[in-house]
Amino acid sequence: MEVLQYIVRKLIAGIPLVLGVTLISFVLIVYFGPDKTYELLGKNPTAEEIAEIRSQLGYDQPFTTRYLDYLREVIRLEFGNSESTDEKVSSILARTIPTSLALAIPGFILGNLLGVMLALVAAYFRGYWIDKFIMGFAAVGMSISFLIAIIGFQILLSSSDGLDLLPVRGWDTSTPLQYIRYVTVPTLATVFVALGYNTRFYRAVIVEEMTRDHVRTARAFGVPPAQLFYRNILKNSMIPIVTRIMFSIPVIVISGSLLLESYFGIPGVGKVTYDAIVTGDQPILKAVVVLTAVLFVVAQLLADICYRIVDPRVSLK
Amino acid sequence: MSARADTVGAHGDSLWSKAFRKFRHDRVGMWSLAVVLAYAIVALGVVLGVWATDWAEVSGPKWSPASVEYWFGTNIIGQDIFARSLYSTRTAFEVGLLVALGATALGALLGAIAGFFSGTWIDELIIWVMGVLDSVPFILLVAAIAYTLQGSPWAMHIAMISTFWIGTARLIRGEVIKLKSLEYVEAAQAIGVNRLMIIFRHILPNTFHILLVQATLSFVAAIKSEVILSFLGLGVKDGMSWGLMISESTFEVLAGFFNNFLAASVLMFGLVMAFNMFSDALQDALDPRTVK
Repeated sequence: MEVLQYIVRKLIAGIPLVLGVTLISFVLIVYFGPDKTYELLGKNPTAEEIAEIRSQLGYDQPFTTRYLDYLREVIRLEFGNSESTDEKVSSILARTIPTSLALAIPGFILGNLLGVMLALVAAYFRGYWIDKFIMGFAAVGMSISFLIAIIGFQILLSSSDGLDLLPVRGWDTSTPLQYIRYVTVPTLATVFVALGYNTRFYRAVIVEEMTRDHVRTARAFGVPPAQLFYRNILKNSMIPIVTRIMFSIPVIVISGSLLLESYFGIPGVGKVTYDAIVTGDQPILKAVVVLTAVLFVVAQLLADICYRIVDPRVSLK
Repeated sequence: MSARADTVGAHGDSLWSKAFRKFRHDRVGMWSLAVVLAYAIVALGVVLGVWATDWAEVSGPKWSPASVEYWFGTNIIGQDIFARSLYSTRTAFEVGLLVALGATALGALLGAIAGFFSGTWIDELIIWVMGVLDSVPFILLVAAIAYTLQGSPWAMHIAMISTFWIGTARLIRGEVIKLKSLEYVEAAQAIGVNRLMIIFRHILPNTFHILLVQATLSFVAAIKSEVILSFLGLGVKDGMSWGLMISESTFEVLAGFFNNFLAASVLMFGLVMAFNMFSDALQDALDPRTVK
């Protein structure tokens, strides 16, 4: 019951954030966005026809009225139909979000898991060559653009100049084998780039925890290193780790794969968003922006609940 | 106790002179600075019209290999890749410097105001703005700002500044909250120094070491974002950049011609790597906790 109250309170506290995001998206995408009048009119429209279309689109209304209308649509989750395909936005999202998740999850898990593992090794051998080697590798990974990593892995694994093992682009999940064939190159690129940042971040967190007094005491009492690392260090550094993981979820669900999907032609939310940006498809953009904001609020909430799980001292108030 | 710019440290010298000495002894730091300066000279040469003036000219055969005349070969329509790479270096510096300066200045200003007025509605408002901007997907924000500015070439810069300032502002806010309870600030308040004066003369200068490091981080982030945005068609509109070169090269790569792709990737990697290491060395030198 206490937890439920907490959740409700947190969700209410997220309302100003979502309102802010709707305001920004309204101002930038709709109010100052592309004028749709002439796209809906035939050739040589009369002044009355123009005025009629403009009032249909609500262009003659004042700012606040138009924003409130926009807000009403958002609250009812009525995002309307896509302007280019006339499909319902909700059905587009329902179709494409699973694809994006299938694309993003392997890289996300591997990137974080390997990041924590490498960071533990580097922190354990702090100052030795193995630490320097791992951190050097992380620095290289951080300096390579995501785009270059994508093209690089594509050349290596999918082109006739490289190993030519995997498909160049596209997407197919009909069998697990096909899925693995298509997901490998994007995943490798994601992991390669994310690993640098993750390892560095996690190493800093772990080193910070390692230098604390309780760790020194435990070591002095002869706690074996594996147990020391798991119980005294890793468990205590979970809060920043959980925060980082939770807050990257909204990004990977909605827009993180934009570059991957548009590059490889994968039919996920990122591709849909990119196409909507190019064609100025307002209903889709509106839905994507608002959903991301809502996901941020939810991620914040999940992070708080996870803090409670990893650290019983944290109380949900 | 940490040594501040205007107080005297344990060995009789300031944070800055100590940091300078530490940095001078940091071999990696000095080398990376040298590399960054070399790139900066290349960029300056382009601005002054010393080289790469013919970057847009179609002068050679299609896809000629590296030669004495075309150091990096030519691209699909016979333009000199070397000249285009140099010109792109200029673009990278333009984007990096503008965004780093803009984002750092904005972050310092709003972060300091939020920190100084922490607990009041001003602070709440600034935190709200930061949260909102953080929740809008970056690429969508760029696109939306580009719509609003009707395809202005500065849309990308403005979008980057309007998101990159947030990290700096959060750090500065925290630091200012810490600094404002120090005695010298209380003393200034007690003798009735103007509040703006306290923020800008007495508090903000003492966060300069954070701002310097943040500026280098924004510089790198801006260069990396430029490449992806330009590739997606949302970045550099006129001129040439590494992102546009890579975008051009995707067709060439499939046909087995790698010069354009390699030139842009390697040059960009070199600058970003050097800048990252420079930033690390700077951070180490400015951190009062690390001893030489």
